[in-house]
Amino acid sequence: MKINRRNFFKVMGATAVSGSSLAALPSDLTAWESKAPPDPYGCLVDLTRCVGCRKCEEACSQVNGLPAPERANCQCTIFEKKRRPDDKAFTVVNRYFTGKLDNFDKPLPTYAKVQCMHCQDPACVSACIVGALTKDETGSVRYDVSKCIGCRYCMVACPFEIPAYEYHDPITPRVMKCTFCYDRISKDGGVPGCATICPTEAITFGKRADLLRVAHKRLDENPGKYINHVYGEKEAGGTSWLYISSVPFEDVNLPALPDNPSPKLSETIQHSLFSYLWSPIVLFSTLGALMYKSNKSNPENSNGKRGTLEEKNITKGGA
Amino acid sequence: MIKKIVYFTALMLVTALMPMHLSIHKASAAWTAPDQEDAKKRAKEVVPFIKEYKDEHKTARKISLMDAGVSINDVKDVYFLLDSPIIKEREDHYEPVRFAHKRHAALTKDCSKCHHLRPKDEKELETTRCSACHQDSFNSEHPERIGLKAAYHQQCIECHRTEAKGPVDCKGCHLQNVPDHKNLVKLPDNADVFQVTAECLRCHDAQANDMLTTAHWLWRGPSPYTTGHRKDIMHGKGTTALNNY
Amino acid sequence: MSHKAAPLNKKFWTPGVLVMVAFMIAGGIAILARFTGGIGYVANLSNARPWGLWVGVDVATGVALAAGGFTTAALAHILGKHFYEPVTRPALLTALLGYTFVVLGLLVDIGRSWAIWKPMFNWNTNSVLFEVAMCVMVYLHVLYIEFIPIVAEQFKDRVNLPGPLSIFNALVNLLLKMADAILDKIMWIFVILGVVLSCMHQSSLGSLMLIAPTKIHPLWYTPILPLLFLTSAFAVGYPMVVFETTIVTSSFNIDSEMEVLSPLTKITTFLLGIYMFLKIGDMLIRGTYVYLFDGTYQTNSFIVEMLIGVIIPWGMLLFEKVRRSRKALFTAATMIVGGVALNRINVFIVAYKPPLSEGGYFPAPGEILVTLGLIATLMFIYRVIVTYLPVLQAPKEVSS
Repeated sequence: MKINRRNFFKVMGATAVSGSSLAALPSDLTAWESKAPPDPYGCLVDLTRCVGCRKCEEACSQVNGLPAPERANCQCTIFEKKRRPDDKAFTVVNRYFTGKLDNFDKPLPTYAKVQCMHCQDPACVSACIVGALTKDETGSVRYDVSKCIGCRYCMVACPFEIPAYEYHDPITPRVMKCTFCYDRISKDGGVPGCATICPTEAITFGKRADLLRVAHKRLDENPGKYINHVYGEKEAGGTSWLYISSVPFEDVNLPALPDNPSPKLSETIQHSLFSYLWSPIVLFSTLGALMYKSNKSNPENSNGKRGTLEEKNITKGGA
Repeated sequence: MIKKIVYFTALMLVTALMPMHLSIHKASAAWTAPDQEDAKKRAKEVVPFIKEYKDEHKTARKISLMDAGVSINDVKDVYFLLDSPIIKEREDHYEPVRFAHKRHAALTKDCSKCHHLRPKDEKELETTRCSACHQDSFNSEHPERIGLKAAYHQQCIECHRTEAKGPVDCKGCHLQNVPDHKNLVKLPDNADVFQVTAECLRCHDAQANDMLTTAHWLWRGPSPYTTGHRKDIMHGKGTTALNNY
Repeated sequence: MSHKAAPLNKKFWTPGVLVMVAFMIAGGIAILARFTGGIGYVANLSNARPWGLWVGVDVATGVALAAGGFTTAALAHILGKHFYEPVTRPALLTALLGYTFVVLGLLVDIGRSWAIWKPMFNWNTNSVLFEVAMCVMVYLHVLYIEFIPIVAEQFKDRVNLPGPLSIFNALVNLLLKMADAILDKIMWIFVILGVVLSCMHQSSLGSLMLIAPTKIHPLWYTPILPLLFLTSAFAVGYPMVVFETTIVTSSFNIDSEMEVLSPLTKITTFLLGIYMFLKIGDMLIRGTYVYLFDGTYQTNSFIVEMLIGVIIPWGMLLFEKVRRSRKALFTAATMIVGGVALNRINVFIVAYKPPLSEGGYFPAPGEILVTLGLIATLMFIYRVIVTYLPVLQAPKEVSS
């Protein structure tokens, strides 16, 4: 290993120049900023209105060209097991008995629809190695299969455990999740399939800001009916889909989440360390200086010959 | 199976006569139920959207309806077919619901249960129709206003729940759009009643079993509303009445 | 230490090698199944558990245990401690093969293996995984470049391609000589670059899981996860060299290199000490010690990781006696290697528990076969290379 003086200064000079040209670097090191669209659409799910008819599942599969839901007309035994969205169903309705009783002391079921929450600052979008997932202006978190490499980091990242994978496709598997019916809502007057069909308007479609107002109005006007919280207003930095409910959200498998947007911590770390590659450049320069110094202070190894032990070793070995 | 066929053949005696009925109807230039025709016509109407409503508390609303002297006697339209184009435009999966307006009014004895708010404009009717205020869903100018379909469903299901009366599942009120049976039914030209019954049961075995357990089949008891049988105390389909539901 | 690297002059086909070949064949069959039936056909991965053995072991553990490469390079080449040079070549080879198999493991694991080049053109600089992927890709090339002089040393002026290819002998020789001459001048760039890239992605591998706070057990989930990954990579580098050198020297029956390994592990007491200090300090500051004795498989795994993988071997290495004894040193090094490996497995598999979905994860036989097959292939190639290229130190009795 030889570190030649002229060579060394050439490279180090270049490094220093590139480093100093980035002197204006801290602009990107400032506090993390949300990349949420300003006025996205959303859906407000009112669990007190849902009657568990599962029509949303049916509409979803028709709109998205998925296989028909499992026992589409069953509103009874299907609820005996808790289901999750998967590669064949973007949304499923589950039934929960949370201890609430009706007027006749019979257990009152609460039905909850699950689908992609379309986070304002989605973890999956931040995680995706190739940017195959994007947060659209409409609020939809979209998936571009042509970029996807199938690393499934989005699935690891999602706090709602939504993206599903076509594990049984050997060559061209896709990540499957609710599209927020992008093709419909991006057109004027378009409404997602599930919201269109919902008989009780348990799903209200509209601008997220309007829906938040509607949600709070409903909470205010019906004291005691609802838990005083709009789920998704702040969870994980806010989601396009919002829920209001008369039972605690944990009881219907909507997880308690920090208000911090999921990607904030990792993006802050990544950007403060690697913006303009400043830390690698600094590290490179430091190590270079160290190497130069250690080689110089050790003249035996930088005596112009191949500064290697091998030759030395041969002579020594011979001795 | 045999038992079922025997049971249902009795039932099918009537059904088998159906084509005859139909042909009679055709021949005699069709008697139609005037109620039904009126309801159909009414269902097609779309009235102008009422934007503003008078903000009243539930109790206040009940009192003001009573003050206005609105009662069951004011019910003009006994029967509604809930078949508005406002809903049909978006989707069409089910047959319209038949809503017995007067009957519901008589049962609840409280018009404010459904006519829960009134238009702000005093010239408008005190009890305006649902579809005047509830039209298309997700009206961005009135985000808190639910659409007509949701208004129906929420109103019906909620009340049926709290009163523990009336259906709360889809098929309790709706018939699903029935597929055309022309190509589904496979019968020889001169099918006898047993063949017809067997053909129905080929697909509708579950319904047949359900039927055998229902009050329609098993009901025995007094029949105070059946003309000519008002005083019979042990009548009913389980005994003497014909199963021609 | 006064001898040079030389090809190994040993019988190649031993019973051990045959066992490796058996595992390679089994792994090959499992890989074939994965590419015909899909990942779901051979693996227990699910929508709730998208990452399993392949990412936890083949990738995360693979990268961690290849840390011997950059840590020895930093010591011998950058800090100028040329005394340690005898172990740089085997460590470089381990790193090279390790990273090659990280990539092979990834090819099995990702759904669209044929699309693995796409991150080069679709950048998402917010993605931690993107940075890791870029670093691993560049570092793999750096490692290959660093290895060229070893190839050149063996074949320079001796190029003898088989059969009709022999007409290219002169050309290949020229290329080798040119590459060697050029690289000799600029190799220091690659050496430093290797260390820089390693620091970047070793730490970022820890940042990967920061995006899933609700899924990772609090004993492991900490904002300093990247720092812990980096310091543990520093700490495991030399023990890994001890581990493999001891295995290699005893299996080939050559010099034990103890005179290099003993002082090397003295540095480890310092590096491992930092890691231990950070890890325990983090636990105390965040107050996560309350979970320690929950008695679940997760907390027990944490205790094993810390106690057997960090604290005990660190204590052992404090004793000069342990560092001088080949057996004791090997034991301590093995524990550290196992501890860091378990840490990676813990972070990526054991600590990962999605709260909403039901069901756990245990790797399917197919997954295990793929991983074992890849490890066997790695060992097999290592053996082929040390047999034919000057990587290991030649036995003393030959050179002296």
